[in-house]
Amino acid sequence: MKKQFSVDPNLCTGCRTCELACSFTHTVDGKAGRPRIYATPGGFEDLWVPVTCLQCDDAACVKSCLVDALKRNPETGAIELNEAVCVKCMACVAACPFGCALVDPEQDKVIKCDLCGGDPACARFCPTKALTYKPSELKASKIKVLG
Amino acid sequence: MVRLTINGRVVQAEKGEMLLVVMNREKISVPAICNHGAVEAFGACRLCTVEITKNDWNGWKNYVTSCLYPVEDGLIVSTHSETVINLRKTLLDLHLARHPHSEHVRQWAMEYGITQTSFEEIPDGDDCILCALCTRICDRMGFAAISTVGRGHGKEVAPPLNEPPPDCTGCLACAQCCPTEFITFSDSGTSREIWGKQFEMITCKECSKPILTKDFAETLSKTRNIPADYFEVCDECHRKATALTMGKISQWQREDTAS
Ligand code: SF4
Ligand code: SF4
Ligand code: FES
Repeated sequence: MKKQFSVDPNLCTGCRTCELACSFTHTVDGKAGRPRIYATPGGFEDLWVPVTCLQCDDAACVKSCLVDALKRNPETGAIELNEAVCVKCMACVAACPFGCALVDPEQDKVIKCDLCGGDPACARFCPTKALTYKPSELKASKIKVLG
Repeated sequence: MVRLTINGRVVQAEKGEMLLVVMNREKISVPAICNHGAVEAFGACRLCTVEITKNDWNGWKNYVTSCLYPVEDGLIVSTHSETVINLRKTLLDLHLARHPHSEHVRQWAMEYGITQTSFEEIPDGDDCILCALCTRICDRMGFAAISTVGRGHGKEVAPPLNEPPPDCTGCLACAQCCPTEFITFSDSGTSREIWGKQFEMITCKECSKPILTKDFAETLSKTRNIPADYFEVCDECHRKATALTMGKISQWQREDTAS
């Protein structure tokens, strides 16, 4: 069964473990990566929202990429950025309406969440289970705000 | 499927795949300066040259640019034989004579132990190695704003008639991909200049950070059907807004469960 990535802001304590897990998972040549997920204030007291890529159906990032560097992985449902193809025009960074295509200035490249190829580190390390990646009847890899 | 041997290791590949692509996949690295995943192989820099042979070639060997060589069954490849290394050294030695001021060329040469060219230096040599990555990538983006002009010694990359290129959108892909950082541009908070053309930047509605040129945004909206207002807010402010929207929904749910 396909798995679904889910975010429940009501369980998030803003501890930023997800950011750290993401960063270390994307270490290259001893340089930690820029996180693809951000625990962000949700506008109410003690309310944090881990903001990360929604792996949109009709994704603006994919549409904006003139060299087809962004493609969906049919296994995981994640939209993956092929670094070897990316020409760093920043179109996707500008186009994503959720701010989830990013520049990593240290590693000098454009990045986005790839669900770690099918085992997202953020979900694995989230201490409160605000982030989960579980088998689901629902569409693969969509973020759902859980009740 | 074909089977070939690279540096003593047997690897599998699709018939007709370029050797460099197979090597990249197998994490066997050679310098491949004029190669980029967004465009077809071009064979300009020659640095990806490797030695090939086959068991039935009776010891005969050939030297080919791996980026343009389709793999075949039984191929035996050596990426760092003495002859290949010497060949690459000669190429780098020549590059160093032609581009004595390029930090990048200096670095590539240094990796092969060359710190000083043995040829006569061209003292006013520029940093463009004529790999044409910039023009090929610009074509691939669909703009074709710049091209190589002239031939032989006078060959260079330039916009048509050496005037600000009308089709350039200021996306900077050429400068980002230039292996010697020869293509220069300047960014102020609200404007950009490249190839002698001035661009107005769209700045974030919330925090004023520059996002992309107006020309590039308009092109993307028109050709890729992306709502123009997506380009009005920077990535960070987009994340903040996303959190506030999702936060509101979560707050309702909290209040629902509380009551
Ligand atoms: S990067 Fe943005 S536009 Fe692309 S799939 Fe993720 S949320 Fe959607
Ligand atoms: S920055 Fe890279 S992935 Fe993003 S649109 Fe440009 S070429 Fe495509
Ligand atoms: S990568 Fe430049 S010739 Fe093959």
